Amino acid sequence: MPMQSAPVLALIIALPLLGALLAAWNRNTWSRRAIAISSSTMVFGAFVATVIALIQLSGAEGQVLGFELVRWGPWGDIDLSLGLLGDPISLWWSIVVTGVGFLIHVYSAGYMKDDPGFGRYFAKLNYFVFAMSLLVLADNYIFVLIGWANVGVASFMLIGFWNYKPEAASAAMKAFIMNAIGEVGLILANVLIFVNFGTFKFDGVFNQVSGVSTEVLTAIGLLLLVAAVAKSAQLPLHTWLPDAMQGPTAVSALIHAATMVTAGVYLVTRSHPIYLGSETAMQAVAWVGGLSALFGALVALRQTDIKRVLAFSTMSQVGYMMLAAGVGAYTAAMFHFMTHAFFKALLFLAAGIIIHYLNGEQDLRKMGGLGRKMPAVYWMSLIGVVAIAGIPPLAGFFSKEEILHAVHAEGLTFLYFLGIVVGGMTAFYMFRLFALTFAGESYEERAQQTAYRSGKKNRRTEQAQEAVHHPAGPEMLIPVGVLTVLSVIGGWISIPGLTSVPQNFLGTALGRYTEWHAHAMSYGPELILILAIAIAGAALALYQYGPQGAWRRIEIESAEKRSTGLLATGFYLDSVYQTLVVRPVLGISGFIANWTEPKVVDGAVNGLARLVQITGDTLRRWHAGLVRRYALVVFVGVAGVLAYVLLMF
Amino acid sequence: MSETALQGYLALSALIFTLGGVGIMVRRSPLIMLMCVELMWSGAALALITFARHVGNMDGHIFAFFVMIVAAAEVAIGLALIVVLFRRREEVDADDIQQLRG
Repeated sequence: MPMQSAPVLALIIALPLLGALLAAWNRNTWSRRAIAISSSTMVFGAFVATVIALIQLSGAEGQVLGFELVRWGPWGDIDLSLGLLGDPISLWWSIVVTGVGFLIHVYSAGYMKDDPGFGRYFAKLNYFVFAMSLLVLADNYIFVLIGWANVGVASFMLIGFWNYKPEAASAAMKAFIMNAIGEVGLILANVLIFVNFGTFKFDGVFNQVSGVSTEVLTAIGLLLLVAAVAKSAQLPLHTWLPDAMQGPTAVSALIHAATMVTAGVYLVTRSHPIYLGSETAMQAVAWVGGLSALFGALVALRQTDIKRVLAFSTMSQVGYMMLAAGVGAYTAAMFHFMTHAFFKALLFLAAGIIIHYLNGEQDLRKMGGLGRKMPAVYWMSLIGVVAIAGIPPLAGFFSKEEILHAVHAEGLTFLYFLGIVVGGMTAFYMFRLFALTFAGESYEERAQQTAYRSGKKNRRTEQAQEAVHHPAGPEMLIPVGVLTVLSVIGGWISIPGLTSVPQNFLGTALGRYTEWHAHAMSYGPELILILAIAIAGAALALYQYGPQGAWRRIEIESAEKRSTGLLATGFYLDSVYQTLVVRPVLGISGFIANWTEPKVVDGAVNGLARLVQITGDTLRRWHAGLVRRYALVVFVGVAGVLAYVLLMF
Repeated sequence: MSETALQGYLALSALIFTLGGVGIMVRRSPLIMLMCVELMWSGAALALITFARHVGNMDGHIFAFFVMIVAAAEVAIGLALIVVLFRRREEVDADDIQQLRG
C-alpha cells in the first residue's frame, strides 16, 4: 500500500505521554489548576494532531499515512520496521479516543477537585490516552501488543486509584488478571503470525493472507478473539468490568465505556482480512458478541448500583459491535463504537454528577426525585437514555439499526432476533435507571415521611443530610453538554440516502470487504418491529418504575437487603469462577506454602545447615588448646605415615 | 665408619629424639617443653652428621649448622614467650594456656 510520511502521527502519542510525565513529576509542586490545564491541553493537542492527520489523509489521494518509529535489523531476511499507521480505521478510533478523552479530562478537573491524588490521577489518565493511541495507531502487531498491555496497566492503576479501599484494590487485580488471559492469546497470535507470515506489519500480513491455510487463519482469529474477549469484557471473561466500577466515575466513562473496552472490536476490525479467511472465526466472533449482548442486557435489568447497570450495558453494547464485526459489517461496528462512546460517556459522566451530588451514593434505590434538583442533568441524561435505547432520531438508533440490518443480511436469523430483543431490554433497563434516579420522591423525603408516620422527626439528621450535596460546576457540565449534542447529531452522519460518511471514509481502508453490505436500512415491518420492541421496553420501564410504579415500590422497599437471584448476581458467574478457579488455585498455593515450602525447601536448607553444624561440633573437640595433645597427634600421625611407608615399600 | 659405630650413633640419635618427643608430651612446664624441642633438634642433627660421615659428604655437616642456627633463633623467641608468660602468671602450665582453642 503506498504510504505518505506523517510525523504528526507521532505527536498524537507523544503529547499525552509528555502530559503524563509532566503531571507525574510536578504532582506535588504544581497547583491543581496547572496540572489540569497541562494534562487537558496535551490531550487536546493530540486531538488537533488527529484532525491534522485526517486533513492530510484526505489530501493523500488513496495513500495511507505512516511514520516509522523503530527499525530492528535487518538480520538476515528478518527486517522489523515498527511504526505508526494513519489509515481511516486508526484515525477513526483516534479521533474518538482523543476527543472524548479531552472532554473527560476537563470533566475530571471538577470531579476530582478535592481528591488528594489529583496530580497522580491526571498522570495516569494521560498515560492511558498515550497507551490507547499507541494501540490504535500501531502499524504492526508488536505495537498493538505493547499498547494492549499498557492500556491494561493504565486500567489497573485507575481502577485501583483509591488504593486505600480494599474493594478497589482487588477489583484492579481482578481486571489485570483477567486481561492477562487475553494477553496470552494475543502473544500466541503474534507468534503464529510471525511464523506464518514472517512479519508483524499489517500490510505485510494482510497481503499474504490468501497464501495461508484456513486452519492457521482460524487459529490466529480465535487467539485474537481470546484477547478481544478479555479486553472488551465479553462472555466469559467479562466479570472484571462491573468490579472495575470501583474506579473514579470519569475513569469508568473513558476507559470502561468509551475507549478501552472497545479495543477488542478494534483488534477484530483491524485483523479483518484474517477473519474473512476463516468462516469459523467469524462465526465465533458473531456468537460471542450476540450472547454477550444478551447476557449484559439480562443482568443489567436487575442491578441496583447505577454504575453496574451502565457497566453491564457497556458489555451488552460492545457485544453488538462484536456481533457486527462477526458478520463482516465493520463499518457498522465502528459506527456503533463512535455513537456508543458519545452516549455511554454522557451517561457515565451524568451518573458521576449524580454520585458527586449525593456524596458518593451509588444505590439506585436510594435515589429518586433528582429531576427537580438537577434539571440540566435530567435533560442531558434523558437524551443519553433515548440515544442508547435506539429511538430515532438520536445516535444509537442509526448505528444499532445498521448492525441489525447487516446481521439479517448475513442470514443469521437467531442472532438477528436476539439483537432485536436485546434492544427492547436495553430500552427497559435504561429507562428503569432513569426513572429510579430522577422521578418520584427523593430518599430523604421518603425517610422523612417514614419518620413523620412513626412520629419521631429528627431535625438534626435532616439538616446534616441536606448539607452534603455537591452541585456540579461548569467544568463538569460543559463536557456533558458537548456529549449530549454529539449523542443527538452523531447518528446523522450515516443516514441512508442522505449521508454515508462512515461508508465513504472507511470504505477505502476496508476495501472490498464493505461491498457486500451496501449501506441500507431495514424497512417496513422489520423497522416497525425493532422500534416497537424498543418503545415497549421503555414504556414498560416508565410505567413500572415511574413515581407510582409497582416494581419501583418493591425495589425501594428492599433497599436495605442484599440482592440475590440469577440476574442480580450476574448468573452467579463470580461464584462459579471463585469455586472453579480461585479456590483451587488458592488451595494449591496453600499446599505449596504450608507443606512444600517448610518441608521440602526449608528442609533442604536447614538440613544442610545442620550437617555443617554437626561436622563442626565433632571436629572442634580436636582443637582443645592442649599443646601436648597436638604434639601427641603429630607424633602418632608421623609414626603412622612412617609405619605405612616402611611396611608397604 | 664401621657398621657398628653407625648403628650406635643412630641409636643414640633416636634415643635423644624420642626423649625430646616424649618429654613434650608428658611434661607440662613450657620451659621443659622448650628444652625437649631442643633435644629433638639435637637428635636430628646427630643423625645428619652420622650419615654425612658415613657417606663422606659435607652436605650433612652444613645442614647440622643450619639446624643449630635455626634452633638458636627458635630458642630466643621461645624463651622470650616463656618469660612473658611467667610475668603474666604465677605458675605456668601448658595445659592451662588454651585461650585460642577452637
